[in-house]
Order: sequence, then C-alpha cells, then structure tokens
Amino acid sequence: MKEENVLRATWPKTTLRHFTFPALKQSLLSFAQSMLWMLAGFSVLLVFWAIVSSVSKGALPGPFATLQVLWQLVSHPFYDNGPNDKGIGIQLFSSIVRVFIGFGLGSLVAIPMGVLIGANEVCKKLFYPLVQLLRPVSPLAWFPIGLAVFKHAGEATIFVIFITSLWPTLINTSFGVASVPDDHRNVARAFGFSKAKYLTKILIPFSLPHILTGLRLSIGVAWLVIVAGEMLSGGIGIGFFVWDSWNALSLERVMSAIILIGVVGLLLDRGFDLIAKKFSYT
Amino acid sequence: MRPKPISPIHSTQYLQIKDAAISFDTPRGKFTAVKNFNLTIKRGETIAIIGHSGCGKSTILNAIGGLLQLTNGEVILGGVTVDAPGPDRGIVFQNYSLLPWLSVYANIFEAVDSVLTGKTKAEKAAIVESFLKKVNLWEHRDKKPAQISGGMKQRVAIARAFAIQPEVLLLDEPFGALDALTKSSLHEELVTLLSLDNQTDTVVLVTHDIAEAIFLSDRIVVMTNGPDATIGEIIDVPIPRPRDKREIIHLREYVEIHDRLLYLLMDAFAVHRKMAA
Repeated sequence: MKEENVLRATWPKTTLRHFTFPALKQSLLSFAQSMLWMLAGFSVLLVFWAIVSSVSKGALPGPFATLQVLWQLVSHPFYDNGPNDKGIGIQLFSSIVRVFIGFGLGSLVAIPMGVLIGANEVCKKLFYPLVQLLRPVSPLAWFPIGLAVFKHAGEATIFVIFITSLWPTLINTSFGVASVPDDHRNVARAFGFSKAKYLTKILIPFSLPHILTGLRLSIGVAWLVIVAGEMLSGGIGIGFFVWDSWNALSLERVMSAIILIGVVGLLLDRGFDLIAKKFSYT
Repeated sequence: MRPKPISPIHSTQYLQIKDAAISFDTPRGKFTAVKNFNLTIKRGETIAIIGHSGCGKSTILNAIGGLLQLTNGEVILGGVTVDAPGPDRGIVFQNYSLLPWLSVYANIFEAVDSVLTGKTKAEKAAIVESFLKKVNLWEHRDKKPAQISGGMKQRVAIARAFAIQPEVLLLDEPFGALDALTKSSLHEELVTLLSLDNQTDTVVLVTHDIAEAIFLSDRIVVMTNGPDATIGEIIDVPIPRPRDKREIIHLREYVEIHDRLLYLLMDAFAVHRKMAA
C-alpha cells in the first residue's frame, strides 16, 4: 500500500492529546500573548471608567473604590447574617442553582420537542408557528403566571428560566435534526438501518453539535434573565443582591456584582464550549 | 486474480431494467432525466454505465438500488420487482458516505449488524474483521473517516458494501474523486475482491472514466445526454480476464473500444455547451 506509507510519513504520531515540547511552548506563548491583549483591554476600560467617574463627580463610583468593595465581598463570600445579609458566594450559588434547575427542566422538554419538530413534518406544521409566536416574548412576562401557579417567587423564577431555556435549544435541535444530509439518510436506507439504529447512529450524532449549540445559547440567555428575574422575585440570588445594593445606595456593590455576573457568565459559556468541542466530529 | 467463471446459477435475465423513465418536478415544469432505458444484465456480469455528467447514470443506479422510484417502467432483480433498498444490493456511493462520528470499524459493523440479522455478534465481528483485512485497513480500524485519506475512505465504503455479502454491487463513480495512482491500485483491489468473493457478484459501475470502464467491465453502456437521456450504444468488452492494466492497453480490442468510446462521448453524444450547465 504505497498510499498508506505516504500517509504514515505525513501523519504526525502525536495527536492533540499528546503535546510535544515545541507545541507546548507555542501554545504557552500564544496564551501569554492573548493575556497581554486582554490586560491592555482592561486597562483601557479602567482609564475610561476613572474618567467617567471623576466627570460625574462620584455619582458613578470609580474603579478603585469598586475594586475595594469587590475584594471585601469575595474575601468573605459565604457569611450568612439572616435573610437580608448573605455573602456574595451564597447569592451567586443560589442563582446558579436556579439557572441549572430551570435550564435542565427546559432542556428535558426542548430536546425531545426539537427532535419531533425537526423529524416530523406534521409536528413541524403543528408546533412551529407556536414556537415562533412565543419565542419573541420576554421570559419575564411569564413571571406572574409562574407566581400564580407556584405561589412562590423562587419557583416562579425557575419557571421563567425554564421558559427562557426552551427556545434556543428547541430551535437548534429541530434545525440539526431536519438538516441530516441525504448522504447519511441514504446510508441508513441502503443498509436497512432500523428506526433505533437510525436514531442512535445517525440522527443524534449528527444533531448533537447543533443541540449543544442550542444548550450553550440557552444557558447564556438564562444567565441574562436570572438577574432580572431575581430583581422581581427578591429573597435571595445575585439579581436580588443587585437590587438590594441599589436600595442601600451602594453602587460599588452593584458594579462589583456586574463584574462577578460577567465572570460567571463567561465561565458557563466556556464550559459549554468545551463540552461542544469534545463532541464535534469534524 | 482468477478469471470469473460462469456460476452454476447463471441466469441470463438476472437484472432487468424495463422501459425505465425518471422525471422530476421542478419549478419550471417536469424534467425527464432518463427515458426508454432498457437493459438486461446476466448474473455475474460487470456492467459499466458511462456518460457525461448529468446524463442520469447515477439516477439509473439509484433506481436499481431502490433509493429512487421510477416514474415509468420497472427494475426486476432475480424475478422480483425492486421498489426499495434491500440486503441483496450493496451500494458504494459517489462521495464515500461514511458516518463521520463512527470509526472505520463501526462504519462497517453497523451495516453488517443491520443487514445480516441472522448472525451472532461474534460472527458479525468476524465478517467485519475479514473485510477490513481484505482492503488492508485492519490497523486503521479505530480511526475516524476524517483521519484517513480519500483512497482509504473509498476502501472502507467498498468493504462496507462487500461485507453485507450482496448479490449485486452498485458502484456510483466510486473512484471519481481520487488521483490516478490511487485509482489504479483500487481498481486492482476491487478486481481481487470480486474474484475472492464466490464470483457470482453482479456489478453495475457508473463512471465517466473510459479506461476504468474497459478494465473492469464485460459490457459498457454508453448513455446519450440528458434531458431524456437513454442508452446510445452497448459495447462488448471481449478482453479475457485476468486483465493486466499495462498489457491490455496494447491489445487491438482495447484500442478499438477506447476509440469507439472516445468517438461516442466526444462527437456523437458530445455535450452541448448550453445544456451542460
């Protein structure tokens, strides 16, 4: 097999999992480089922030004051002095838990619905107009409905997150399922794949990257919505913390919360990106 | 490479395509790709269908495969009308059509698993192993299609089609995307595989490569251009097997067939530029 010899010669023995030393050095270098760019970007922001703060004569707290408050907050994240005074860690954690419960339940509904809508023409005609009607509605509009049904603000917030998480997952799943290429379908037909085999060996593997993209978008939007949801619901959570800080007239705490919300959102997004990369087959 | 002997169950009307026509509905009205297509294939025969791009040769192959319904006429295989894909036909698609998330091994195993339902898991595994070894891909069994070359991908696709042990092999421009050297070695591998397999395999090969058609087939069906494409001429290839690529090209028969095919494709059924687009 001449062709294989050529291939072996050009095919590196190392795959991505085994870094060689020069490759490691290269990736460290490029990492350091992107960190430098990021730091430069932050410096620009800090300077701009300081200027706005001084122009507004302290109406907007400056970066230095904010970072001091942020440091205080993160150095005692889990203290608990009763219902209205809890550490930032507890607030963030409770928001994350709510997001994951709502998102998990939403995904459990959205993925099968998406598969149905994508695979079945009747289901598509039946449900897709509904999806298009409900998708543009701000999930917060569902808050009173959740409150009426569940009688509790906490559950109502989870309900809002559930609704939020439905649409991107549902739409991406149905798109993925509907776009299985004819080539793959023909393989299934030519070799007489059973329904189960078609589902597990073609349909799901093909749509998995689309489903994961949907989940990643869903968790992103859910994290956006939780802040507003908890401003409405009160009680506990990072959204409540922001509103509570505003009522206590501490914009430093609000700004700190904004930074932390951003960090958590970024981590969630990166996490899902990593999962999606693990399952991509190209 | 042994010559293909006439099998005991030799039948002269094994695969029949009768008065076949295929039309598609397009926004600009009905488009008839193929019509008045009549062909009778003997059991164990290798037929090449040759023609310009878009002449409907793949359409005919898909109809034999049962992937496509004829608008008119019928395909009869071993006395039975074909209306769906079946385990008696193995298809090698134009663009490999491997499932990218499955390993080389799993790509073949899943096909064997769903076709040869009567066999045990161990028997199926043994079949997959033997065919992977026949195409020299056993050591690459755990790789994904994206990690192997085009020639290797096509060998997986060929092994997959052979592994379900079909009676008819349908090859849709199987080597179209490969370079000349790879193509050449795959031709010889295919001939070896065909002669290893109990020599009753009927093969229908769609191609636009004249040398490939002559080297592999017993008869060459030359198609006219579409729309309304049909059989223009059928040419016998009376070159004895085994055929040696380097030697047959000097045979008088080879030269005559080659010239005739060239004339038919370049002049008689030449592509009219306006329609080719």
